[in-house]
Parts: sequence; structure tokens; C-alpha cells
Amino acid sequence: MSIAAGADYARALSELSSADESSFGGKSAALGELLAAGVRVPPGFALSRQAFRLAREQRAMPQVVREEITLRYAALEELTGLREPPVAVRSSAVGEDSATATFAGQQETVLWLRGVDPICLAVQVCWDSLYSVEAVRYREHMGVDQEPAMGVAIQLMVDAAVSGVLFTCNPLSGDPSMVAINASWGLGSAVVGGEVTPDDYLISKVTREVVRERLGAKTIEYVPDASLPGVALRDVPAERATARCLDEHALTALLDVARVAERHFGCHQDVEWAIARTGAPPENVFVVQSRPVTTVAPPAPVTPVSAISLVMARFGVGKPGTGD
Amino acid sequence: MATTTARPSAFPSPFAIDAVDGCEGWQEMYPYYAVFDERRRDTDENRFWFWNSMHFPFPMPAFDVICIDSPYQAVGSWQNRVFAVPPAMGIDYRIVNGYVYISGNPVTDPEKIAERAEFFQARAGYYYANWSELYGKWQRKMERLIAELGELQVPELPEYEADEVAYDGERNTAFYEVLDAYGRVLRLGDLMWQHHFEFLLLGYGAHATFAEFCKSHLPDIPDQHIAQMVAGIDVLLFKPDSELRRLAALAIETGVDGAFASDRTPAEIDAELAKSESGRAWLAELEQVKDPWFNMATGDGLYHYYRNWIDDPRIPYASLTAHIEALRGGTSLERPTAEIALERERLAQEYGALLDDGARGPFEELLALARTVFPYVEEHKFYCDYWFLTRWWNKIREFGALLTLHGFLEESEDIFQLTRHEVSTALDELVLTWATGGVALGPKHWPPIVVERKRRLERLAAWTPPPAIGATPDVVTDPMTIMLWGVTTERVQEWASHKDGGLVLNGAAASPGLVEGIARVISSVDGITEVQEGEILVCGSTSPAWAPIFPKVRATVTDIGGVMSHAAIVCREYKLPAVVGTGRATAVIRTGQRIRVDGSTGVVTVLES
Repeated sequence: MSIAAGADYARALSELSSADESSFGGKSAALGELLAAGVRVPPGFALSRQAFRLAREQRAMPQVVREEITLRYAALEELTGLREPPVAVRSSAVGEDSATATFAGQQETVLWLRGVDPICLAVQVCWDSLYSVEAVRYREHMGVDQEPAMGVAIQLMVDAAVSGVLFTCNPLSGDPSMVAINASWGLGSAVVGGEVTPDDYLISKVTREVVRERLGAKTIEYVPDASLPGVALRDVPAERATARCLDEHALTALLDVARVAERHFGCHQDVEWAIARTGAPPENVFVVQSRPVTTVAPPAPVTPVSAISLVMARFGVGKPGTGD
Repeated sequence: MATTTARPSAFPSPFAIDAVDGCEGWQEMYPYYAVFDERRRDTDENRFWFWNSMHFPFPMPAFDVICIDSPYQAVGSWQNRVFAVPPAMGIDYRIVNGYVYISGNPVTDPEKIAERAEFFQARAGYYYANWSELYGKWQRKMERLIAELGELQVPELPEYEADEVAYDGERNTAFYEVLDAYGRVLRLGDLMWQHHFEFLLLGYGAHATFAEFCKSHLPDIPDQHIAQMVAGIDVLLFKPDSELRRLAALAIETGVDGAFASDRTPAEIDAELAKSESGRAWLAELEQVKDPWFNMATGDGLYHYYRNWIDDPRIPYASLTAHIEALRGGTSLERPTAEIALERERLAQEYGALLDDGARGPFEELLALARTVFPYVEEHKFYCDYWFLTRWWNKIREFGALLTLHGFLEESEDIFQLTRHEVSTALDELVLTWATGGVALGPKHWPPIVVERKRRLERLAAWTPPPAIGATPDVVTDPMTIMLWGVTTERVQEWASHKDGGLVLNGAAASPGLVEGIARVISSVDGITEVQEGEILVCGSTSPAWAPIFPKVRATVTDIGGVMSHAAIVCREYKLPAVVGTGRATAVIRTGQRIRVDGSTGVVTVLES
């Protein structure tokens, strides 16, 4: 197989950095950054906007892109020692996941695919999602007038016992010393899609203690479907639904992930993670995506003040009507 | 202090509260100005009053009213007349069925507030700028005061005056000496209270400002972390218990620990120790420690019946016994001061690093100021409420003994059933009849009064005062009410909404953690020894003097108090979940009930009755 000179259709995630955001999209670039920072990310590769353009021109999956997928999927087979290991295919729109706009829910994620044909189909689905009615309206609403483009990330699946989302600050209060974690049984779609009330943990970055926890009713979970490609939804028995789904070790591992991601990107992150059924934290804790937090409460306004003037204010000096 | 609107209050009118059955006329025990009076109804009925159960959880004995008057004279003097805190003057009190309700006097005129702000900024600024030097002076002042109290003699009334009185020309007769000593002991008490409040407002204010700053920039920071960043490492208040730990280790080393059997009284333990050479050596070592470290009170100090550890050694001996058991079980009792110091710096640095650049400067400055003022915040209680006050009550007991000797009282403790003015009157008659040789009426007059008042106090103790009376405030703005008592707008709303009682209590989350267990409701000092291992302490207010009890309990719930109280500090030190300021825990919860305490959210749930 040969790849056209100068064309940059695909790359391993580990070869990406933030400089590649404009070609591969924010999601794929961020995964490359996380790998560089030493965070565990399921291995995989990414398709660029050039691959997308070519597909638009040819109105079909270009052969050259299909060859890239085949080649790189084979590398994943070799890496895992499995025939047709399951992968997730996620859209990575260019301009997506930036600090100002999330494009949230506008694009596709297809889980648990095995084999090149299903992967190519899922890639096509991701590309097409850019022209869904919702996506077009969203771009109009946000005033995005440049020609849309779409990257795709293809990653090994984590057979997740537990998965969820974490914020490197408390998104409700804005407290930067806390990591907020939502977690539920099975694959991540239950939490992201709001289909369960997840466990809700607030952990101090400073002392690592759980400052607050509220156990949710995690009544359903997504698990790999044994008979078909894709995932199956199943009920969780009542007893397990309300049981705590993260132990101290898992929480500590997630806290460490949060701190590394926050430090690496230099701003608060919204991280999707999954904990594999096999292994033990931190080795089985994976990040599947990370993006800047866009909804955090603004920090308390800081005007230059002296400590003593704050103390004086406590005693009513300088409050409205005091003439100070 | 609090603005109110004209609508039906959620709290009863002070004028609608009936005397407890069989206690009619209780008002005669107290000064005319200390009760709700029709002549002041217009103003009093429209104010918000809350039960100061933090300092006065029990009905007031007549003499103990001095511990309301003096502190409020002193706190008002500093707050209103010295520092001129802009929006708040002093605190008024009224007694209802023996219980103390308080209400701050606000300053509402903007011009007046501005005028006071000038004074406050200059004077408080001076204190903050010179804090450590002024506090050093204060400590010496307190030590002199305590020494003077110790030297004060309560004279006897001799059959014949000594020769010196007859020949010297400089000496006074006993009638004068008795009256002078009584007057002096009252003035020494006033002086203590004056000193007590010199730094209190400013100390708490600086500390509270730091806490508030942390909470506005780090909204989820546990209170415990704020306390850990500020708290001193080697503070006076830990010294008594650390001396007990040392003595426990010494007992084991010298092989006398067998004397400390948990079914023995302190006197029996002493008797056992006195039998051996090494036991006597241990007792000698204990004597060395007692002054000053046994000047801890068995309670929060404002009532005459809180004795110090010297007078009531049950608590230190129970602690010694527990420490010895722990040491035998291989538990280290050393407080890891180096670790605590390191952790304190680590927390400060990490939190500082997490803040925005603009907030880091004020954070560090406020932390430094909070650390500067904190020795006073922690230590004044030892000097004033424990060391001085327990000895001062003993001095009053000596006057009680004098009155008892001459038949005016049945026993010296009965002096506390008379007001300080009645004691003055009784002493007047005593020295008069001693001088004249006439027949005193006192022995017929006072004992029946004492009997009646004791009976009343016992009945009043069974009454549960409402947490608040008078008008319901829309907002609580008085900085002192909020800082010292934890009475905030939210707390008042909770009190108002729970007036019908219920199984869930809300308070301030003072120390994080969630536990369930059996409640032990403690309303008097005698109850402390009843607390069993693993129970949850429920009391009016926690007190650092109860420190020996904290290793035993699993959590603490109080009726009143904020996250800043000395009590909360000790609770966090012991890493016990604590909910403070529930308003009515001691009224709602009964000993033996299973309760859940969530020190992270401030919720207490009664699980079974």
C-alpha cells in the first residue's frame, strides 16, 4: 500500500499535538497531547480533514483512506494480539472542542465496532453528521461561516466496568481546588447521554479526600453486545444500581489524571474516562477525550484589595452608605 | 443587627411566654433590668432575640448573673465605645424563665456609621499593626491579675481584733476588710472580663475574614482545611492534655499504672499510689503539673459549678486511665507536631497556588494576619474562662464559707443562690452584727430564699427554651452575631421553619464526615463521665475543656455555635464529624437514640426514637 506524497490522511494518535488541531480536529489533537503528557489513552489513529475533503470530492470512501484504515487497524490487531479488536469511532470536528464552542452532541460516536467494513461505515456516518439538520442550524446560530471540516478518531475500545466524566474544577461553584467526578456502570454513553443519575464525587486536589459524595441511581448500563456489533443496553439490579461504583484507588487515579490534564493544557478540562474490567487502578484507567471546560462559573471578581481592607469591610467599614 | 418586617413572627413574643409551672415569680432572682418588662414592651417585642445557649445553656443561678452583666458591659465597651464597630453597638440581654436571650443593638444612621468607621479604622488598624506586642502585654496583664486574685485574702471576723489593729494605727478593722475584699473580688472579675474582650472582636474578625475569603475563592474548601492552615502548632490549649499523656507514660514507665483502674475514684487512685515510693513520686510530679495546667474547667466556665481539674479531678483521671490503656494497647499518644506543621504549610502553599494571581496576594496576607491573631483566639479562653474564672468562683466560695460560719447560709455553695448585691447586703448585716454584738436577722432571712430558688432552678432546668423569640428578622447583618454565635439569616430561617419539631436538624457543617451512632445528650458537667466509647456527643455547645472526651466519641452535635468556635477547632483536630448550631439538638434528641451526623452537609437525622 502506498500513500500519496504530501497527503496527510491519517496518523497515529501518539503522533498528534495541538498544532494538528486544524487538520485533525480538537478531539484527536487533545488525545495526542494527553499521550505526550503520560496519560493513558486507548491506542488508535485519526483521520484528517484532507481525508474528509477527498471523500466529499469522490462522494464515497476514498480507496486511499480505506487503505490507511486497513493498515492502521492491522497495527492495532498486532498490538492487542486480537483478531478484529473492538474500536470506537468518534468525530473530531475542526473547530470543535474549542474553549468557546462545544458543538456538543452534534457529531457521532459509534462504539464497539469490529473489522474494517464496519469502521469505514462508521467513519462515513461521522462525516455525514456534519451535514445533519442540527449541525447546519448550530453553525448558523454560532455564526460559523467557514467551510466545515471533520476529522475522525478511531481508538481501541475499553471494556469499561465503570466510566464517566470528570471536571478539573467544580463546574457548579468554580472551586479550582476540587475535582468533580460523575461515574456510572458500563460504557460511558449512559453518563454522557444523561440516561442515569451517576455517582457524584467531589475530591480535594490538596488532600485527596472525598469532600462530598452522592451515590446515584445507576439503573441501566451499556455493555458490549455479544452477538452483534455495537453495544447493548441492560438493566442494572437494584442493589448494584445504588452501590458506590468507584473505590478510593479509582478516585485517586482519576484525581491524578485530572491534575496532569489540567497542568498540561493550562486550563480546566472536561474529561471522559473509562475504567477497564481487567487490571487495577491506575493501569486500567483510560481517558477517551479531554476538552476545555466551557461552562464553569466565573471566579469571584478579583479587584486589587489589601487584606486589612477586607477585614475592615467585615466590620462594616467601607460598605455602601458609610461614606468611605 | 437584623432588619425585620411587620408580619406575624415565626417566633413567640417574649411577652407571651408563661412562667414554668411552679416557678411563678422567678423574676425576683434577677435584676429589674434583666427581664422583659411591660414598660419596655414597644421596643422589646419588636426585636429579634435568640437564646444564647452557647454561653448560658442552663437557667441562671442568681449570683451567676454577674457572668452576663460583666461580659456584656465589657464587650459593649470595646465594640461600641473603644473601637466603635461601625454598624453594631453592644448586646442587650433579657432573662426568660431563667434562660438568657440576647439581641444586638444596630447602628442604622449612615452618618453615624461613617463617623464610627473613622474611629474603627484608626483604632483597629493600630491593634492589627501591633498585635503581637499588644498580646504579649495582655498575657502579662492576665498573669498579674490571676496572681492578685490568688493573694486576695477573705478576712475572718475575730472575737477580738489583733494587737496590730490596736497599736499600729495603720491597720483596718475586719468589718472594713471584709467589705473591701468583697468589693475587690467583684472588681477583679470585671477586670478579667474587660481583658477578655479587648482582642476578641478583632481576633475573630481577622480569622473570619480569612475564612470568608477562602470560601469565596475556593467555595468547596472544607472548614477543617481553613482551620489547619491557621491553627497554631504548640498552643496552650493542648498543653493540659499533653501533660496528661506524659503523666500516663510516666505511670507505665515507673510501674504505677496498675493504680488506674476504671472503677476507682480519683481519691482511691491517689490512696493506692500513696502506698509505694514510686507512686508518691508520680503524685509529686502531678503536683508540679497542676499549676497552671489543671486550671482547665470541666465546662465552658461561665457557671459557678464548672470547677477546675484541681477541684474536680474526675475528668483528668478518666483521661489518664484512657491514655494508660491506649499506651498499653500499643497506641502512640504523641501528637505529631512536625507532621502537623508540615501539613499546615503544604495546605497553605497548595491552595495559594490554585488561586488566581489577583487573589493570591490577599490570601497570603490574610493568612498571615489570621495566624498572628490566632494565639489570642485560642488562648484567651484558658487564661480567662478557665484559669481565672474557676479560681474566682472559689474566692466567692470563701465568702460563702464566711456567711455559713455565721449561720447566714446552710453551706458555702448556697452563696450562688443570692445575687451579688444580696451578698453585699448580707455581708453588710454580718459585719454590722459582728461589730455591734446584736442579733442578726440573716440566718432567718436567707436560708428560705436559697431553698426556694434551688427548687425553682431545678424545675426551670426541665424547660426547653425556644431558640428565638420576638420578631423574625429578614436578614441578620450584625457581624458579631454571625461571627461569635453562628446565627445567620439561614440559621434563623431554619429555626423558623422547624418550629413544630421534626426528625431532621440542620446546622453548620463544622467538621466533615458521616457517621451513625447512639446519641448521648449531655446537659451538665456530671454527664461527661457517662459518655461511652463510640457514642455521639449531643450538647448545648462543645467546649475545648471537654477535650478528654473527644477521643471517646464518634461525632459531635451542638445546639449553638459557628464553625469558628474553639469547640469546632478541637473537633477538627480530633477529626470528628461535627454539626454545630442546630438550635435544638438537646431538646429533640434523647440519649440512646440512633442518629446520623453528616458533618459535611450540616444535617443531623434522628433515625429511631
